[in-house]
Amino acid sequence: MQDTEESPAAAASGAVQGPGGDTEHTEGPPPPLAEQQQQQEEEEKEGEGREEEGGESEAPPGPPEPPPPAAEEPSAEPEQQPPPQPPSGRESPEKAEAEPEAEPAVGAEPEAEPAVEAESEPPAEGKTEAEPGPAQENGEAAPGVPAEPEDEISFSDPEDFVDDISDEELLGDVLKDQPQEADGIDSVIVVDNVPQVGPDRLEKLKNVIHKIFSKFGKIINEFYPEADGKTKGYIFLEYMSPSHAVDAVKNADSYKLDKQHTFRVNLFTDFDKYMTISDEWEIPEKQPFKDLRWTETYVRWSPKGTYLATFHQRGIALWGGEKFKQIQRFSHQGVQLIDFSPCERYLVTFSPLMDTQDDPQAIIIWDILTGQKKRGFHCENSAHWPIFKWSHDGKFFARMTSDTLSIYETPSMGLLDKKSLKINGIRDFSWSPGGNIIAFWVPEDKDIPARVTLMQLPSRQEIRVRNLFNVVDCKLHWQKNGDYLCVKVDRTPKGTQGVVTNFEIFRMREKQVPVDVVEMKESIIAFAWEPNGSKFAVLHGETPRISVSFYHVKNNGKIELIKTFDKQQANTIFWSPQGQFVVLAGLRSMNGALAFVDTSDCTMMNIAEHYTASDVEWDPTGRYIVTSVSWWSHKVDNAYWLWTFQGRLLQKNNKDRFCQLLWRPRPATLLSEDQIKQIKKDLKKYSKIFEQKDRLSQSKASKELVERRRTMMEEFRKYRKMAQKLYMEQRNERLELRGGVDTDELDSNVDDWEEETVEFFINEEIITLAEPE
Amino acid sequence: MVRAGRGWGSGVGGWGLGVRPGSGPILLQGHERSITQIKYNREGDLLFTVAKDPIVNVWYSVNGERLGTYNGHTGAVWCVDADWDTRHVLTGSADNSCRLWDCETGKQLALVKTSSAVRTCGFDFGGNIIMFSTDKQMGYQCFVSFFDLRDPSQIENNEPYMKIPCSDSKITSAVWGPLGEFIIAGHENGELNQFSAKSGEQLSNIKEHTKQINDIQTSRDMTMFITASKDNTAKLFDCTSLEHLKTFRTERPVNSAALSPIFDHVVLGGGQEAMDVTTTSTRIGKFEARFFHLAFEEEFGRVKGHFGPINSVAFHPDGKSYSSGGEDGYVRIHYFDPQYFEFEFEA
Repeated sequence: MQDTEESPAAAASGAVQGPGGDTEHTEGPPPPLAEQQQQQEEEEKEGEGREEEGGESEAPPGPPEPPPPAAEEPSAEPEQQPPPQPPSGRESPEKAEAEPEAEPAVGAEPEAEPAVEAESEPPAEGKTEAEPGPAQENGEAAPGVPAEPEDEISFSDPEDFVDDISDEELLGDVLKDQPQEADGIDSVIVVDNVPQVGPDRLEKLKNVIHKIFSKFGKIINEFYPEADGKTKGYIFLEYMSPSHAVDAVKNADSYKLDKQHTFRVNLFTDFDKYMTISDEWEIPEKQPFKDLRWTETYVRWSPKGTYLATFHQRGIALWGGEKFKQIQRFSHQGVQLIDFSPCERYLVTFSPLMDTQDDPQAIIIWDILTGQKKRGFHCENSAHWPIFKWSHDGKFFARMTSDTLSIYETPSMGLLDKKSLKINGIRDFSWSPGGNIIAFWVPEDKDIPARVTLMQLPSRQEIRVRNLFNVVDCKLHWQKNGDYLCVKVDRTPKGTQGVVTNFEIFRMREKQVPVDVVEMKESIIAFAWEPNGSKFAVLHGETPRISVSFYHVKNNGKIELIKTFDKQQANTIFWSPQGQFVVLAGLRSMNGALAFVDTSDCTMMNIAEHYTASDVEWDPTGRYIVTSVSWWSHKVDNAYWLWTFQGRLLQKNNKDRFCQLLWRPRPATLLSEDQIKQIKKDLKKYSKIFEQKDRLSQSKASKELVERRRTMMEEFRKYRKMAQKLYMEQRNERLELRGGVDTDELDSNVDDWEEETVEFFINEEIITLAEPE
Repeated sequence: MVRAGRGWGSGVGGWGLGVRPGSGPILLQGHERSITQIKYNREGDLLFTVAKDPIVNVWYSVNGERLGTYNGHTGAVWCVDADWDTRHVLTGSADNSCRLWDCETGKQLALVKTSSAVRTCGFDFGGNIIMFSTDKQMGYQCFVSFFDLRDPSQIENNEPYMKIPCSDSKITSAVWGPLGEFIIAGHENGELNQFSAKSGEQLSNIKEHTKQINDIQTSRDMTMFITASKDNTAKLFDCTSLEHLKTFRTERPVNSAALSPIFDHVVLGGGQEAMDVTTTSTRIGKFEARFFHLAFEEEFGRVKGHFGPINSVAFHPDGKSYSSGGEDGYVRIHYFDPQYFEFEFEA
């Protein structure tokens, strides 16, 4: 950037040669040269420079003449660019102010030295930061001298005056705001390969340039160097801010204007940067490994654990494969929510930013394998995520809007049978996880009762409809295999007060889909099916009297209450993914109480607590469970604890600002039913081997610990030996400092002790306390 | 193992007599506000306690009887120190003064006025030079001042023989190094500095902590010192080289740490900051005193008792008891159980 100063500086110093010259002294008439020189001689050397520069600073306003180009041909090579000048008139006044700052440096050089060179010396700037003050003072005082008659009071400094007040002291607060030479220079770009035109077509060219470049920000200055009546093929543009300039370089470089002209866009500051790069290549130093930020918000696993999705401002990245590399990216600005299809073939992303009327982009469905966008959707209503619900095999996906259910099919992403279903008042729907069946419910409408409908797809055949009366709300709970559907129905039956809850249990695998009802008297806190099983757990009651009940759906359809535990501290049910075991957790406000239950015989295996726990995650095998305090819910004690399914605490991992832990899902087993049966039968055989392995690794771990301690102790002892040696060497100095008294040991000066008898008054008080438990 | 305190009721208050050892901690109730620092004299027969009230207390450590008070301060007292032969006591206060007392009579011998609160103070090894640091406060910079007591004019004219300015980050804790050659200062930004007591020159500088250093205490032989920091750790350093030797990690800000004079043990006191305590139940405040092995950096015991964070801990010079002062305003003297002396790590 120093190059910019070249021509104005040269011009200005030229201007000052003539006494008074064409410069305008705002402070008063220019002093006669002789006087000026006399004063200069008396001043320090810098003074001389200052004066000269003072002239320079008053260089005529307005954009100076373009510098003579170094070479006639407009070259694309940045190195050959003629030193460009400030592209704007705007900069001139600024420069004039900034100039005095650099001037003492110039002055310090011998006069013969061209100012240009002095300026291009980088240290000049820093060195002279504080100097401009004296220059200004000088500028004010000096002109006064000659004009004054002798009998008037002179305000000028005496000859031997030495200015010892720095500008920092005088105007420190203003000084920091003073414009710098470099101001604005970051916002300038240079565009090469611009068509060379004469004055007649200049206007047109400017229009074109404006159209292309004002996309990145407001152009506040432009400069088209000319030679022989034609533009030179390169131009300078200045933006409002450096970020615009960077944007322009990023996006407009290599812009094809026409066949002959492909723009090369560079930051003005880059020219300088690349000019100064040394030809010698230095081996870059090895950088320490930097923590790689995986995601900007959170992460998600795909349903079978094939992919890990990370969230970024620009979209979603998927990671996977043997080396866990990034394997796919989906560009969706501001993405917030995602959902995988159960088959892992499609990804649905949601962003609140991108939607426009004619180009639906709020929700995008992507093909994971190709990375292609399959279809975009609007997001009109603020429904619960996921807005699109997938059928278990990923063949269909559906969404609900008021009075309609739209079912789409893959891979076409078009509406099934080209039209949506009209279902007046539809409130909620859900796919069976075990077949292409949709369950939905509609509330009462005048005389028509509320009803729950099961519909087969793609045939749209209604396989079961159940009418319900006095319904307030329904919730649909599918058992994981799709064997059962439980509809939790909140009702206000006539003649009763308050809400009654019924569980309507649909047995999906039987003909006609028989329904049984369990009536609950208390309010329901949570409901959950046993995965792969026929039991369900219900939390009911009001705090602090909460109970958990386990029910079993028998083969004959009878629903049996197996067991109820009273006085539970729980608000959430977590079944093991393999069934049988369940953890009841009192998350957040319930302080993280945990109850581990085996439902085969309904025993409470363990009761524990992870204080303020916010999350519970079973591992996919059902052997381990993790409880955690996420930073998202609680700011202290962020940690995750690992338990066995029986509730034995294995590990506590404290991690500051810990956010999220997700077990990687496992794909379905490759073993056949028979093989699994065989393994279960031979379990004893395996367990022996595993126990042995466990013992081995445990003893190894404790061995390692002892080994580690031993080395630590050795090192510490070594250090202590050194320290004590030094300590002993200083013994005499210590004695000296304490007047010869040896205080190295507590009782080493026992001879100096005086015996003193102190009497204590004993005041005995016997307080009987309740025996603590 | 270390005995866990039995909370209220057990033990006898500071006014009565406790039978030692084996009857629970002694509770000293001599302050109305939270304790800021506690310190034993060299022999360990006396325990000095200061708090955010203006009273300076001295107790018999053997039974918790109060020997007396040093009266004169008008604000919170941040720090206290006694010289090696327990003739003088030095206190620094938020009333912008540092005072020197006759230990035995309680007479105020000298008063040094400062322009801001006195945060840390201490006698050098010989007991002739005092050092104190003042807060960066009300437009005043943080300074460490050094007075030589052998020259009374220094105190009379309030002219320290040396005054070191610390413009970057204020000193939050400081102790004398061995032989009184330098002081070790811990700063608000986690830095540690050695300043020469002769020239004021900064001898060395390290930054091992990321947050404020709340406390520094030296080992009995003054070859090592331990720092307690708001960054949830305590660290062990060599006094002379400032070499970082060990780190002790917790989940809470550490307010104070002390080294056992007889074992390779360290006790840490700390807990949630006062301002956060109201929002968390005492249950998760984690206000226990925690014992770590010095070489292994492993925790082996905890002592409960305080109803708030522990602000200051100190080992008795004989290593058979330790004391803690808490945000709850109590000082507790704990005598170790026999098991403590038998306990050993498998190594």
